[in-house]
Amino acid sequence: MKTFRLRVLACDRVFYDGECRMLIFPSFDGEMAVMAGHERMSTAIEVGEIRFQDEKGEWQSAIVSDGLLKVEKTKVSLLVYSAERPDEIDAFRAEAAMERAKEQLSQQQSIVEYHISRANLARAMARLRGAGKHMPDA
Amino acid sequence: MKITKAMYLMSSMKLRKARQKLSDTEPYFFALEEEITDILLHFPALEDVFFDNRSEDKRETVKHRAYIVMTADKGMAGAYNHNVLKRTQQLLNTLKQQYGDDKERENRLFVVGELGRAFFRGQGYPIEPDFFFSANNPTMHRARQITGRIMDLYVGEELDEVFLIYTRMVNSMKETVEVERLLPLKTSEFVRKEIQDKIDQGLLNPEVIDEKDDWYLFYPTPRAILEKLVLNYLTGFIYGAMVEAHASEENARMMAMQSATDNAQLMLNELSVEYNRVRQAAITQEITEVISGAKALKKKKEAMKKG
Repeated sequence: MKTFRLRVLACDRVFYDGECRMLIFPSFDGEMAVMAGHERMSTAIEVGEIRFQDEKGEWQSAIVSDGLLKVEKTKVSLLVYSAERPDEIDAFRAEAAMERAKEQLSQQQSIVEYHISRANLARAMARLRGAGKHMPDA
Repeated sequence: MKITKAMYLMSSMKLRKARQKLSDTEPYFFALEEEITDILLHFPALEDVFFDNRSEDKRETVKHRAYIVMTADKGMAGAYNHNVLKRTQQLLNTLKQQYGDDKERENRLFVVGELGRAFFRGQGYPIEPDFFFSANNPTMHRARQITGRIMDLYVGEELDEVFLIYTRMVNSMKETVEVERLLPLKTSEFVRKEIQDKIDQGLLNPEVIDEKDDWYLFYPTPRAILEKLVLNYLTGFIYGAMVEAHASEENARMMAMQSATDNAQLMLNELSVEYNRVRQAAITQEITEVISGAKALKKKKEAMKKG
């Protein structure tokens, strides 16, 4: 299977830099996938989970914040504020963050604050979803 | 000296952390910059609030400019704060000369860091109220909040131009103050010209521009991308600038404390030399006195014997 170079750059680290067969990411109207030989494209990605198949054919996943995706001839770069593996996520922290965001949303605030709180909530929920799916059954 | 030495150690530790953060963000930061240039190059001529050149519109004579100034929370960092503040003042003064006094009200200062806030307040500049952000340990959260605030004002047409003033660490010995215009974005022609300039100077490969003329897909629409892009760009840039500024601050403080320690050491050496000299002089004098006293006594005795 043909591969392309994938770079996932978060603001505090290079999350992934290597070959990839297929990348699935949340777009504004649902999930989209990119494979080798895709046309040049620039798009926005939403808060959620990305999945990609590395050159050995193993699927890896990450929870990402919103950001940009650029497809070039031989490489794809993904620019996000944060990217985490599901097992890196601290479910308790995410839960706390969700509670905090909900509490803030329930209070009167300016439009900016509202947007920030809503984005915080979306991120916390994406994290929890990502962490929950991969948690061992209790 | 104990204090300066302790501060030196502390800031060298903090510097190591800040450096780490800086090198962690750099790939993201550079890729972001590259992507922005790339997208702007391809951008169809859109009429949009982020490109619109309210800033060059001659009919509207009053321009609202915002300056985001990155300073430190504490002093004791050599010329670090001083340089940033001086540069900001310079900028404001040139504007004052250009447009006269009353336009100064149209400049709004968003100051990060306690020291800068205190300075501008003391000098009677109009600084933005409720804009309290610490310069210590930059976080993405803080960058997001700053961006939210700025974007809100910009979209609401309360601001026409947004500048960012921060310190960039060139290497561990050299730091420069940078002034960057964040908004409105450069238009595609402008970026093209910049790249052409770089090609002319031999800094870039001429192929870059040919390739960049290719057709490009923006999904779903250029406008939707632009919206995201601007937010990402601003947040990323402000975060990057905060990290740069913080690293520069700790570096400046470390160097200042190093030279303070050195100076104190020098002073101690000089003083101890002087002390030893004075003590030696006192001892010599005492000995001379004792000897001369003894001699005098001896002479007296001899005189008595003879007599």
